[in-house]
Amino acid sequence: MEFQAVVMAAGGGSRMMDLTSSIPKPLLPVGNKPLIWYPLNLLERIGFEEVIVVTTKEVQKLLNLDTKMKLDIVCIPDDADMGTADSIRHIHQKIKTDVLVLSCDLITDVALHEVVDLFRAHDATLSMLMKKAHEPTEMVPGQKGKKKPVEQRDFIGVDDTGKRLLFMANEADLDEELVIKRSLLQKHPRMHIRTGLADAHLYCLKKYVVDFLAENRSLTSIRSELIPYLVRKQFSSPASLRQRQDNKEQDQKKDQKSLDIFSYVKGDSLLEFAPDKSCWNSHSADLNEAFHGGKVRCYVHIMKEGLCYRVNTLGLYIEANRQVPKLLPALVCPEEPLVHVFAQVTDRGLVGSDSIIGSSTQVGEKTSIKHSIIGSMCTIKDRVKITNCIIMNSVTIEEGCSLQSCLICHNAVIEKGADLRDCLIGSSQRLEPKSKHVNEVIVGSEQLMEI
Amino acid sequence: MMAARGCGRRGAGARGPDPQEEPPPPLQAVLVADSFNRRFFPVSKDRPRVLLPLANVAMIDYTLEFLTATGVEETFVFCCWKSSEIKEHLHKSKWCRHTSPNKVRIVTSDLYRSLGDVLRDVDAKSLVRSDFLLVSGDVVSNINVSAALEEHRMRRKLDKNVSVMTMIFKESSPGHRARCQEDDIILAMDSTTNRVLHYQRTQELKCFRFPMSLFQSNIEMVEVRHDLLDCHISICSPQVAELFTDNFDYQTRDDFVRGLLVNEEVLGNQIHMHVTAEEYGARVSNLLMYEAVCSDIIRRWVYPMTPEMNFTDDETQSYTHSKHNIYRGAEVSLGHGSVLDENVLIGQGTVIGSNCSITNSVIGQNCKIGDEVILDGAFLWNGVHVADHVEIRQSIVCDEAEVKEKVKLNPHCVLTSQVVVGPNITLPEGTVISLHSPDEEEEDDDEFSDDSGVNKEENKVKLKGYNKAEVGSEGRGYLWKADDENEADEEEQRQNLWGPTLNPEEESETESDLSLGSEQPDSRTASPQLDDIKVFQNEVLGTLQRGEEENISCDNLVLEINSLKYAYNIGLKEVMQVLSKVVMEFPLQQLDTELDPQHYCLMLIPLLKKWSPVFKNYIKRASDHLDALSAIEEFFLEHDGLHTSIAKVLMTFYQLEILAEEMILFWFSQRDTSDKGRQLRKNQQLQKFIQWLKEAEEESSEGDQD
Repeated sequence: MEFQAVVMAAGGGSRMMDLTSSIPKPLLPVGNKPLIWYPLNLLERIGFEEVIVVTTKEVQKLLNLDTKMKLDIVCIPDDADMGTADSIRHIHQKIKTDVLVLSCDLITDVALHEVVDLFRAHDATLSMLMKKAHEPTEMVPGQKGKKKPVEQRDFIGVDDTGKRLLFMANEADLDEELVIKRSLLQKHPRMHIRTGLADAHLYCLKKYVVDFLAENRSLTSIRSELIPYLVRKQFSSPASLRQRQDNKEQDQKKDQKSLDIFSYVKGDSLLEFAPDKSCWNSHSADLNEAFHGGKVRCYVHIMKEGLCYRVNTLGLYIEANRQVPKLLPALVCPEEPLVHVFAQVTDRGLVGSDSIIGSSTQVGEKTSIKHSIIGSMCTIKDRVKITNCIIMNSVTIEEGCSLQSCLICHNAVIEKGADLRDCLIGSSQRLEPKSKHVNEVIVGSEQLMEI
Repeated sequence: MMAARGCGRRGAGARGPDPQEEPPPPLQAVLVADSFNRRFFPVSKDRPRVLLPLANVAMIDYTLEFLTATGVEETFVFCCWKSSEIKEHLHKSKWCRHTSPNKVRIVTSDLYRSLGDVLRDVDAKSLVRSDFLLVSGDVVSNINVSAALEEHRMRRKLDKNVSVMTMIFKESSPGHRARCQEDDIILAMDSTTNRVLHYQRTQELKCFRFPMSLFQSNIEMVEVRHDLLDCHISICSPQVAELFTDNFDYQTRDDFVRGLLVNEEVLGNQIHMHVTAEEYGARVSNLLMYEAVCSDIIRRWVYPMTPEMNFTDDETQSYTHSKHNIYRGAEVSLGHGSVLDENVLIGQGTVIGSNCSITNSVIGQNCKIGDEVILDGAFLWNGVHVADHVEIRQSIVCDEAEVKEKVKLNPHCVLTSQVVVGPNITLPEGTVISLHSPDEEEEDDDEFSDDSGVNKEENKVKLKGYNKAEVGSEGRGYLWKADDENEADEEEQRQNLWGPTLNPEEESETESDLSLGSEQPDSRTASPQLDDIKVFQNEVLGTLQRGEEENISCDNLVLEINSLKYAYNIGLKEVMQVLSKVVMEFPLQQLDTELDPQHYCLMLIPLLKKWSPVFKNYIKRASDHLDALSAIEEFFLEHDGLHTSIAKVLMTFYQLEILAEEMILFWFSQRDTSDKGRQLRKNQQLQKFIQWLKEAEEESSEGDQD
């Protein structure tokens, strides 16, 4: 076995509380499939047979997936506030090989071998996936005006080939300057600094990185601590080596204390020969050994086309739902019809070809459904107009309603003649007949409390 | 300082109404035949830098050949130091013949102190009609600039003269021989438009800083490049000369580039770049580069400017080229058993004795070399005498110098014109010997614009005779180096002349600590700007102290602070902070002990009263108020013991009408403060004072309504 796959599904979805306060993030329906189905499907397609899923007890109870893979579900304690790196530490006993770590909110049609090949070809410590960030196109309910949420930008430095990851910094950590070490540019004199990239949170990591994580408890997050650490360590020399030279007489106690990543690097003894014996070199102009003797190497695959979403905000959730009808037929095998066979739709002609309708849902007469996704066991009465909506399971919509660009959560009831536009309706909400709402977030009070 | 001016104010007449209809005007070039520094001292005391021989041909000839080959039809040569020699050289050369396709016009003035002066003169005399090439007289290159020129003209046509300059770079990886540390640069560019966004010399920097503003704009991909060698060739528009006139503080091209990039938004001028990969271009800026460029010429990198081509059309410079890059002039005699290994150039009329071994060396005309001499990386100019059993490695021996028997020159030695060394002496690495005494330098030619100050020791013992221990029993010449008492200086001197040695593989610093946060930039060397502020602060303190002692009026204090501000290039904001800080600390300066709050107030308040006009001069805008307040806050945060006096101090500022009440209230209500700041705001008296201010404000506003 070359890789073990780990899906991280313990996150709370703190940036879309309106939704995740009632439904755990891994189970949010996207195209009538729980979010976590997408990364698992990605792994299944590429041929994984076993996956470790790190999640919470709550999710485990509700998780009911149709997959051929053997899922090893590991629950982390509910009360512990654990980061992704903590989660890896939690399961590190199970890790025997290099790992592929995915977040549960990744929806992509990337050819995964591109990322893995980078890892293999360069004997990399880390390889990861990035994609040009999406400009949010959809209106987000409850958002006033067109203002974009101000996010801290990431500065990603890649080399001339666009594959080697040289530099990484977040705007939040920088003052007024971007600081780049001379030693880095000495080795990679051309560096492209890109800003508009989104990290897909998909990482190939060497086994020794997991070992390193297991010992170093100060690291809590993969994305914000471990990855920048690895990227930085590419261009520093091993401290332990120097120390050994400096004070040979002294006990090696110091080495024991300050273990950095270099103490964990394990090279293949055969591979160590290769650079000496072959005429291949990683760079031109000088005759130093390949990779300048660096032991830690990070690579990134930047997707040029294709879909890649990380569903971690409301806007991206809506966007993903829009895109999924196009994506699903390629992912699901055997193909499932977009309108479920058990759905009862009276006027088939009024359902758009890019809409999805779940099983046991009843759709009444003269009801038109366009660009929308409707969950299972919903009841939609006559003369309802649904455009650009996401409707979860067991929702009831009475006669004559008009819904446009809305997001309706489980068990909500929309009574007769309601007219909604750009709204988010929380779980089990009941809207009055003939009520009219534009650009509002209507959720239960207990949900509001959590925000 | 910066004054925007309409572009091409007199260009219209010369350039014609529509460049499309007319062919571009003949290409002009400005060649600056002076370096305006002393990097080649004492070598350049005898001969101006541009006439120093590179592979037996004066540097300026290479530059002129490059310009001519690339299509320049008129070149202005600007001379200052030893201008008559340059003039004489040019008059004799092929450039001043009637057949020359490149008209060389010589402009001399003893008043030039910098490149800036030259370009201001270009502007004043209206010498250039259109885009021109700007090079210095020590550039060796075979680059064809026509592609870059085409791009430059296209950009100027499309973008309404926004781009004023195109700099030419050669691609060469770090560690390349021709990349000396002294001239190393880092730059950031917009890879789609080739626009230069950031340009910086990297000398001795451990890490490079890029202002965030580079990444704010709509540029998708910023490329950081450290693989470029600055050829010091630039295509300039006439605006460049005008900009130098407008900004009289621009001295060098670096000043210009920096000024333009920093003020890009204000002036709207841009700089672009052109990168060549195959061609050669380098500037001989120090001896290290001299060595590198010389070797490159011999190794034919500057083809077609190779020694046997005799491009200067001088009959004494004809060479035959044989394999392993051995070039021999006419009437060269080589003794029995002597070996020319590889990369050797021997000038006309040189006589070499027997059993010599010569490799990677250049030997000038009419030299006499004895028996069993080893020359490795030696650069001998014309008429040099080398006696038997001499060993010279990586050193320069200038015209008519003499090396006696059994002398050994270790790497990086320099013997200037007519020096005699030996016999039986070994010169340690980096020895510089000249007939000019290092001391005489102070007396003569202080008109020479200078920055580095090769020799600062003023109280040096005057050398009467030559020191036999240094130059040998028959030697003639003075040792150029710092006093022996300071070993570090000696090293510095050597580095100064020869240039810092190449350090191709800089060892990356270890990060021994595992803690992740501590690797952030704070541990790096402080930026020079910070130091400036510190110096500025000390100067302001000194000024105020004098003001206090000698009772200088506030107007004069303001004048002095303003001149300091310009001298250290300090922004208004920093002036504000420094001034507040200095004044607040003033009472502490006078008494060494920590004062108690009461005593402190007693001392400070009269000072504030006295200097309130100074403050008022600087505190005008709202942001100034806040800057002053934050400086005051910072002071009190540093001096815990004085917390209680903050209310009184602010009260004084308020009563003197230095700080406005709204601004004090605004400062007080600022949320984004540190814990200590919040602690400070909880201070009883301060609370009371703020309360009082609020009430006063309400009253006054009520009063307004009535």
